[in-house]
Amino acid sequence: MTSYRAKSAKISGDFAIQTFNLAKTFNSLVAVDGIDLNIKKGELFALLGPNGAGKTTTINMLCCLLKPTSGTAQIMGYDINRQPFKIKGIIGVSPQETAISERLNPQENLNLIGEIHGMNPRELKSRSQQLLETMGLADRAKDQVRKFSGGMKRRLSIMMALVHNPEILFLDEPTLGLDPQARRVMWEYIARLKEDKTILLTTHYMDEADFLADRISIIDEGKIVALGTSAELKTSMLEKHTMIIYAQNFTQQVIKEMRARYAEVETTNGTMTISAQKLDFKEIVDLLHTSGATIRSAYIKEPTLEDVFLHITGKELRE
Amino acid sequence: MRFWEIGKRNLKELYRDPVALAFLLGMPLVFILIFSFAFGGQATRPLSIGIVDEDQSQISAAFVSCLESIPALEVAPSIYHSQSQAEEELDTGELSIYLLIPHGFGEAVQHQQAIDLQLAYNEADPMLPQRAVPVIRAVALEFLNIPVPLNIELRETEVEIKDEYINFMIPGMAVFGLMILIPSVGGIMVRDRVKGFLSRLMTTPARPSDFIFGYTLPFIPVIIISVAIYLGVGVLMGLSIIGNLGLAFLVLFIMGICCLGIAMLLGTLAKSEEQASGAPWIFIVPLAMISGGWWPIEQMPSVIRDIAGVLPFMHAMDASRSVITLGVGLEAITNDLLYLVGWTVVIFALGVILFRRSMRG
Repeated sequence: MTSYRAKSAKISGDFAIQTFNLAKTFNSLVAVDGIDLNIKKGELFALLGPNGAGKTTTINMLCCLLKPTSGTAQIMGYDINRQPFKIKGIIGVSPQETAISERLNPQENLNLIGEIHGMNPRELKSRSQQLLETMGLADRAKDQVRKFSGGMKRRLSIMMALVHNPEILFLDEPTLGLDPQARRVMWEYIARLKEDKTILLTTHYMDEADFLADRISIIDEGKIVALGTSAELKTSMLEKHTMIIYAQNFTQQVIKEMRARYAEVETTNGTMTISAQKLDFKEIVDLLHTSGATIRSAYIKEPTLEDVFLHITGKELRE
Repeated sequence: MRFWEIGKRNLKELYRDPVALAFLLGMPLVFILIFSFAFGGQATRPLSIGIVDEDQSQISAAFVSCLESIPALEVAPSIYHSQSQAEEELDTGELSIYLLIPHGFGEAVQHQQAIDLQLAYNEADPMLPQRAVPVIRAVALEFLNIPVPLNIELRETEVEIKDEYINFMIPGMAVFGLMILIPSVGGIMVRDRVKGFLSRLMTTPARPSDFIFGYTLPFIPVIIISVAIYLGVGVLMGLSIIGNLGLAFLVLFIMGICCLGIAMLLGTLAKSEEQASGAPWIFIVPLAMISGGWWPIEQMPSVIRDIAGVLPFMHAMDASRSVITLGVGLEAITNDLLYLVGWTVVIFALGVILFRRSMRG
């Protein structure tokens, strides 16, 4: 414990959230296995992993809802084990369950959280109004929320996390259960919050982490298995690149020539897939063109976070 | 004042849910109406009574035989020859009421002199002498066959009661009815826990006491209305309130608050709505029984009475019956009230402690 404090004292000025060998076990199940994270102030940090990886358990410990089995964490310099109520005063949380009061209207839900945080009524009214307008719920502010759509409830849930203007925002699977269009709208809302607040977001959607996060930490079976920006993760983890060409008239000669130059070449029904550590896009296109093939499209396939996860864990990150 | 904000939210949630509200407020009404129509005005079982025959004459023995032959009375198997024996059994609860046939009874009958009979009973069940007096008076007059002056000692207040059975049962039913609120009230907190709303509130600076009092607050009007229904419908069905109505109300109100405290414990400990709605029945019905909800506690084994005496429910029933039927004042029920208030404070304190623990899973 002492060493954690000494370590944090040196670097806490730069970081909003730090975990020190943070671990949680439930009987024999190790949910979080000694993780160390340093999340910078103003950063949007994503914990990406499959269901059951330990994301929500981590967030629950950081929100002071769960006591760690060992290790600790600091939020803006406050220790989660010793100063939980200090932390609760500066965080906003949007839990995985929508968790709103169904027979209250959006305004009343926002008032509840704001009043518990001791906001003065004028400030609360103005902040609520601003959020309701930004999130597109101003015209439904007086309707009970039990008849709202899933997307509207999610938006309200995030507004409840924001109403008291917290320094730190925890978003646990903020787009879970939303259709693709609603997810995209939610991403835009979240993206607008970047830099103004430090955000820790958990998700099992790789595209969500890719779109939103400044840095991503991939978590699996309670352990952090990779950490970096999306680009860093993709480039540093992958050893080969893949090019895909859609064309007509692949000759045996050109296929043979490609195989002589690149490690893996496959052709099926007008599609050629070439994988190698280094690919020369221009050279491949020229060769095909010279051989008489009619190219419809060709591109270098970007590695995805799914590929990264598969590469590291040997498992697929199922959505 | 965070508890007030949580309380306001729970108040709105409750009063905007017509089904939940109808259940909470309709239940006491339906409960007391069904009970009153089903049992009002009936003496359903024979009255168990001991007899002390100090006279031990042939005439007194014949009188005892006459009493034994009456279906409305269940005379204890052994006839006591001294008052002290019966008094002892009255103290231990073996007997709840006895009739003393004094020395000179036979002689008085022979000489057609005034006859004094004495009924001794445990005050905890004021209904007993009310049931016994008319029966014994009728048997005595039948036995004597001539109108001689017959005096049976009784407290004056008790003869004002219109329906002794209702007067005995309504306070018991009111306490039982308040106990029935426990699963519903506790279930509301559990529902918020299961849906994650409670967890969301736990990420705010609200303290454990804010939650406990915030979830108690909306049910205080429910308690007030419930007690009003029990006493109001009780009066309509024949309940005679001899003592101070406000004092009787206060006793039942404190009992209701105590039940809310138990509901908060339940809401803190139960893991699912099924647990919250099912588990309390394991203790509600037995506790109501052993606390004297349906029949006099004096008829129960002493160990049961000791257990009931430790818990608050019997004290609520005793105190409310004493005020309603005997007309006693605050002084006479101070101990019961202190007991109730003490239990309420302890239960709420325990609720806050347990809730604090539950906040860090």
